[in-house]
Amino acid sequence: MEVLKEGFFGSIHSVYSIAIIIIPIMIALQVLKDFKILDKITKPFNFLSRIFKTSDEAVLPLLVGIIFGLSYGAGVIIQSAKEGELTKRDLLIITIFLATCHAVFEDTLLFVAVGANGFIIIGTRLVAAFILTCFIAKKTSVVISLNANNK
Amino acid sequence: MLINSIKTGFKKGLETTWMLGKIIIPVYFIITILKHTVIINWIADAFRPIMALFNLSGEAAIVLVLGNVLNLYAAIGAIKAIELSPLEVTVIAMMLSFSHSLLVETAVTKKLGISGFKVVAVRLMLAIASGVILGRLGGLIS
Repeated sequence: MEVLKEGFFGSIHSVYSIAIIIIPIMIALQVLKDFKILDKITKPFNFLSRIFKTSDEAVLPLLVGIIFGLSYGAGVIIQSAKEGELTKRDLLIITIFLATCHAVFEDTLLFVAVGANGFIIIGTRLVAAFILTCFIAKKTSVVISLNANNK
Repeated sequence: MLINSIKTGFKKGLETTWMLGKIIIPVYFIITILKHTVIINWIADAFRPIMALFNLSGEAAIVLVLGNVLNLYAAIGAIKAIELSPLEVTVIAMMLSFSHSLLVETAVTKKLGISGFKVVAVRLMLAIASGVILGRLGGLIS
């Protein structure tokens, strides 16, 4: 009986502590999305395309994925790819980055709700994804330039 | 327009809460019941050597498995039910934020035309490396 009571109150409390975090986030993300705020502010982030040696068009899907998550990011990526804006290389770079680092606000705050240190998580994740992507970007650009030389 | 966005956002927040509630509540119940049986001790004993690498207790293995196979919500239900220290929660959260929901998310990356196997390998390696480093560092501090 005690066990069931513990399970009941504990689980309700868990859901509540997450609800008070997830609802404001969803509202903020929806406002960002509806007002197309990201589309307007990709310029300051264009330096990413130079570091990763992608086209500037890759920056928007990358930002969308980092903030809104993999599934939503994938939607934008597939859309951009269909419109022919992204190269095969852009796709690889975006996917590598987003596989390790996506939905940073939602995922991180969920863990903060259960007592984790959010700064450590978000910081490590961004830095690790950045380093990994730089590494892959360097490797693939070597392959591409080799191919170009062969031609 | 702004009001509409806020309304939609609020509705999405409620939907997410409902969705995660459906996962967290049963997971929390099952783990709470397990906690009062010897099964949790068997699991903890079995995983103690591996979890020690990350400076985590053996029970934490349940959280990592749930997060990787199912999703973060299931992992969070389990984190709440097993009492863990803030350091342990941070280490687990770090590891899980690199690699989670592997079944679903790998399907998404595959749709983008990138090898699922490689993506999973990279994510698991990052999770393990970050877990070892953070676990050790945290152990030194506390």
